[in-house]
Amino acid sequence: MALLEIRNLHARIQGVEILKGIDLAIERGETHAIMGPNGSGKSTLAKVLAGDPSYEVTGGEVYFQDRNLLELAPEDRAREGVFLGFQYPVEIPGVSNTYFLKAALNAIRKYRGEKELDAMEFLQLIKERAKSVKLDEALLRRPVNDGFSGGEKKRNEIFQLAMLEPYLAILDETDSGLDIDALRTVAEGVNSLRSEERGFLVITHYQRLLSYIIPDKVHVLLHGRIVKSGGKELAEELEGSGYALFDEAAA
Amino acid sequence: MEAIAEQKSIYLQAYEAHSAQVEESEWLRRLHRNGIERFEAQGFPGRTVEAWRKTDLGLVLREHFPPSSGPGSVASNLVEKVGALGQAHRFVFVDGWFDADLSDPGDLPNGLTVVPLSVCEERIPAIMRETLGAYADTATHPFAALNTAFFRDAVMVRVARGVALAQPIVVVHVLTSEADRHAVYPRTLIVAEEASQFSLVEHFVGAEEVFTLNCPVAEIVVQQGANIDYYKVQEEGGGSAHLGVVHAEVARDATAHIHSFACGGKLARTDIYANLIGPGADATLNGLYLTSGRQYCDHHTWVNHKAEHGTTRQLFKGVLQGRSEAVFDGLVKVFEQAQKIDAQQQNRNLLLGKLALAHSNPRLEIHADDVKCSHGSTVGQLDDEALFYLNTRGISLDEAQCMLTLAFANELLKPIRLDALCQYERRLLLQRLPGAEMAGEMS
Ligand SMILES: Nc1ncnc2c1ncn2[C@@H]1O[C@H](COP(=O)(O)OP(=O)(O)OP(=O)(O)O)[C@@H](O)[C@H]1O
Ligand SMILES: [Mg+2]
Repeated sequence: MALLEIRNLHARIQGVEILKGIDLAIERGETHAIMGPNGSGKSTLAKVLAGDPSYEVTGGEVYFQDRNLLELAPEDRAREGVFLGFQYPVEIPGVSNTYFLKAALNAIRKYRGEKELDAMEFLQLIKERAKSVKLDEALLRRPVNDGFSGGEKKRNEIFQLAMLEPYLAILDETDSGLDIDALRTVAEGVNSLRSEERGFLVITHYQRLLSYIIPDKVHVLLHGRIVKSGGKELAEELEGSGYALFDEAAA
Repeated sequence: MEAIAEQKSIYLQAYEAHSAQVEESEWLRRLHRNGIERFEAQGFPGRTVEAWRKTDLGLVLREHFPPSSGPGSVASNLVEKVGALGQAHRFVFVDGWFDADLSDPGDLPNGLTVVPLSVCEERIPAIMRETLGAYADTATHPFAALNTAFFRDAVMVRVARGVALAQPIVVVHVLTSEADRHAVYPRTLIVAEEASQFSLVEHFVGAEEVFTLNCPVAEIVVQQGANIDYYKVQEEGGGSAHLGVVHAEVARDATAHIHSFACGGKLARTDIYANLIGPGADATLNGLYLTSGRQYCDHHTWVNHKAEHGTTRQLFKGVLQGRSEAVFDGLVKVFEQAQKIDAQQQNRNLLLGKLALAHSNPRLEIHADDVKCSHGSTVGQLDDEALFYLNTRGISLDEAQCMLTLAFANELLKPIRLDALCQYERRLLLQRLPGAEMAGEMS
């Protein structure tokens, strides 16, 4: 069974249909990229997979490992091993990054029947992982994303990814707003987490990221449908031609 | 109208019957007499009185509450609360009467005088005799007048010039089940002499199901350059009515931090008056209120800038659950001579219950031309995006709500400089929130 299997997924928000029949399967160990123009439904797909209650799923199925994902509450999806790196990470004034991560990590460990980390173990882990994604330690003590720069927010997402070690990581434009050095660090962070048992779904506008995180498959999302899938060369092709070609093909 | 006229005479009759029985010094008799006369002159406020428009006093007006005639016995769960705030000079009043057994004054350092009125009425220093009742506005506040008419015991605190106390003073007011259907009139006088520095907590606790009318009055005199932290913690049982007054008189370069925490009672109201009478006076009025079920909780503030270069900061925050209702009504008045003052006033309410109701009415009245004043209020719910973000990290909805609520309240818990009190209020908050088991140390 695939790690993630999406069949004919339809979803809408406030009565507007955004996803119009998505089919996608990701095997363990694979990295897939989704590309597509603004408003095509990339973030919608990511949020529907993570369980955002503002979207209504109107058709189709999603299986994660052997679980029916759509039946699970968002926190249980996370505990099962789904992670969403947000395109726009949310600021949470008053809740420190460290405290937040400890609550998250222990909730996940508890769900999996693992013992919760004590203060010392946790501190050690958090320091080590912050270092691995070059996250400034001062940001650990600050409220979650509060007043972080765009780049710091994205790095914080990757840091959380490294802490929570999910089986499926959906990264929604984690590359946008990053300078080349930051991009490289983020890509290194992701690459070091790639493994036999883990899958990635990387959403991006630019081929740039995909030269660091080499995908196994690339999909083009247009008007809520995957209009083309291919290997990593598809990303390069898109960089040259843009989406207009597919738009015509889809119309 | 008839009902009100009738109630007036009931309280007057009670007063006359009562005062015939007690022996007391002339100065006290005069003060009490003045209180009942002031009450008679105004009666209970009708809904047409602006300051009482939103407060439904039906509960209090329907029956007569005779003053409690003596201390009841304190149940063990309340005895526990008496010691909850840790090391302190502790003075305990039960149903309005000083209780020496529950009190634990510790070693009173030089310069600290604490006298319960009932213990040494004759030996009250002249300065305190003259100050008691000099500030609370009995002419316009009916419950301040009632308190002044009926209080029999009082705690009178004086910290001498230049003295800084290492330990806080904690005054615990306990309502027992014997005070059911009675009125209790706690009275507090605090004189912080020049350049003194200390903290004082008034902690109001009570038996769960009793219906008591509790009308405390605290007068706080902060003399030149003194620095006082005054905390009021109101967590009486869910059946009671609490109608309290706190009056602070803040002199030149003096600082008063007033913090009101309210989560108890069926009907609870605290009226805070702060008069900045000397140049450079500084007052902070903070309030945190938690309501649930059908509780009603009200804070009214009157901040009077009467001198130049004064600063006031007001921040009141409410966490409302169930069908509860809360009011914040604050007036900042800047007098003509009070140039270069800086006054801020904020009220923020977090509605956790769909049927909860928050009223906010921050007001400014400015008669000087070179001042900095701001005010604002917000009423809102927890941020759905933040909740979802936390959910996607494995944190359940209950836990996420608890985290965000605590984050909201933290702005008022953080400035509490007594660690035991800060932790205590935090626990009172967490007790009310599902999903709180996980909320360990959050900074
Ligand atoms: N609350 C809403 N009500 C109606 N339409 C919405 C709402 N939220 C999003 N949409 C629409 O859904 C569509 C898909 O948005 P989505 O964020 O998934 O696009 P995207 O592919 O991630 O775009 P981008 O590249 O800009 O991030 C857009 O047309 C957007 O306007
Ligand atoms: Mg998007």
